Amino acid sequence: MSSIRLRLLKWLVGPILVFNLGAAALTYLLAWTPAQLAFDDGLRAAASALAGRVRAEGLAPLTSGRAPDDGAGETGWTALHASDGRLLAGSAALPAPAGPGLRDARIQGEPVRIAVAALDWQGGTAQVSVARTVRARGQVRSAIVRSLVLLEGVFSLALIGLVWFSVGNGLAPLARLRARLDARGSAELAPLDDSGMPRELAPVVDAFNALLGRIEAGARAQDEFRANVAHQLRTPLAGLKLQLEWLAARHALDPDSARSLGLMLQANERMIRQTNQLLSLERAEPNRFARARLLPVDLAELVAESIQHFVEQAAAKDIDLGFELDGAPLQGDRFLLRDLVDNLVDNALRYTPAGGRVTVACGALGDGGSFLRVEDNGPGIPAHLRPRVFERFVRLDEQTTGSGLGLAIVRDIANLHGADLVLGQPAAGSGAVFTVHFP
Amino acid sequence: MHILLVEDDAVLADGLNRTLQAQGMQVEIARDGLQADSLLQRNPPLVAVLDIGLPGIDGFEVVRRLRARGDATPVLLLTARDAVEDRVRGLETGADDYLVKPFATPELVARIRALARRHAPKSNVLALGNIVLDSGARRARVGERALELSVREWAVLEYLLQHAGRVVSKQQIVDAIAPWGEDLTLNAVEVYVSRLRLKLDGAGVSLRTIRGFGYLLEAGA
Repeated sequence: MSSIRLRLLKWLVGPILVFNLGAAALTYLLAWTPAQLAFDDGLRAAASALAGRVRAEGLAPLTSGRAPDDGAGETGWTALHASDGRLLAGSAALPAPAGPGLRDARIQGEPVRIAVAALDWQGGTAQVSVARTVRARGQVRSAIVRSLVLLEGVFSLALIGLVWFSVGNGLAPLARLRARLDARGSAELAPLDDSGMPRELAPVVDAFNALLGRIEAGARAQDEFRANVAHQLRTPLAGLKLQLEWLAARHALDPDSARSLGLMLQANERMIRQTNQLLSLERAEPNRFARARLLPVDLAELVAESIQHFVEQAAAKDIDLGFELDGAPLQGDRFLLRDLVDNLVDNALRYTPAGGRVTVACGALGDGGSFLRVEDNGPGIPAHLRPRVFERFVRLDEQTTGSGLGLAIVRDIANLHGADLVLGQPAAGSGAVFTVHFP
Repeated sequence: MHILLVEDDAVLADGLNRTLQAQGMQVEIARDGLQADSLLQRNPPLVAVLDIGLPGIDGFEVVRRLRARGDATPVLLLTARDAVEDRVRGLETGADDYLVKPFATPELVARIRALARRHAPKSNVLALGNIVLDSGARRARVGERALELSVREWAVLEYLLQHAGRVVSKQQIVDAIAPWGEDLTLNAVEVYVSRLRLKLDGAGVSLRTIRGFGYLLEAGA
């Protein structure tokens, strides 16, 4: 994966370093050349002056072969050569000059600069050479280089730092965008907030929001389709149920028909239940819940509203269904809570064998919360399977018909209400105890 | 008992028709909202059972027109949708009760009877199984056998008969038979019911105890 930061750095820092290097070279030239010229001018002037003195005084100024001290501590040599290169006077260390002008050479292993001036000498020409060591020049040059390196180094580092910071700063909106996306739940499809986003990111945010919009529309269409199908199924299921009931009453005395009709009624009940659960599942979607209003409700009243249905179901299986209902006020969505109660009780009635006992209790807790408890004396749920029973489509008993959605719906609704859902076992005997603690 | 049933689904309408007729009701069927609207005017039923999703004008509109005419005929709405808005809207429009499809048949019958009782001129005679309770003559019998009931027992049985097929809580019984804050405990209700149970032996009804809650009186032994 390529990094925008690295790319920007590569394209900013690389050229900056090259430009800096070029600028340093130029600075070096600009600083060094005048110094060099000044030194050379001094040397040339010394050669001319010496030529003047030789013209006036003869060979006397050259006897020592040493150049006068220039005050910079350089060692100097002087010499006079005839036009054929013979040394006429002065130091033999100096090489024979090639002509007037300036050149570099080495004397006793040390680099020197030599200035040569021509003069008329005894009817012909001769050349005066003045050589000086270049120590001072070297010092000046290294001083220039040292300062340049230091300056450019500091300058480059500062620039890199500045670029690093600006790139980071420029990319900050991307990080903010990512944080906003990270903070979302899996089903949260609302458009991204583009406030505080730079103009350059707006097209990205817009495109993203358009995509989210399409996804949400798709999800909503799917939801609506599912709900619509489930709703559409209810009328024919209700009709089928009534017809089957009517037939069953008519053929109660014919064992074969009665058995077959009983099975059809069971299948019909199962379809009805499955359809209702699909709708419950949809109601318990966190997305929908956010829109639902939470109102004060009493669990005892909710249970009482569903009792008729429970009693009929329990009677069909000869289960002793009992209630211990005390006022259990809480803030909740009454339709979802009714789904929760329905599914817990249905689950207990379903998994408790005929002749068993199921007790539904609710009440207030000392801490201001309330509870709902559904206890049965069925086979119970082994401890190692308990964590799994709230997963969708998990059925512990292949013999019992169920969608495997009931307890998942219970869990979803409990979660939405911030309630704890605990599965335990009765103090004595076998069975299962589901307890929901509402805050 | 004349019932108007408005349902466009032929299978459900036919099933409801048979079920309600088996309960001794006279059923008239309408297939759409407009037909329902005109039948409600021409031949007012005791109770109207009305589907919401109808061709033409929907159930809400039928109820709205009914109430706009000042007609108080009790209406039980049948809905395939259980969306909160539907329930609330149905009751706000002026329906008396609603039931979500698919429903338990005894519950439907019980609700229709409850609506009929609430709105019919007070009938003096309640009957279930072999029980006949005539509050006008203050006489009760099981088949040919006369029932001797105390005032409280009478009140409890009357309440149970009025709510036959529906689970009633002990508290509801207390509230109904001792409405003026008279001192009547839930335990006392239990005592009356257990006495009634003995006296109703062979009455062709089942009086089931819902442990910790109340009772359910139904036809059938």
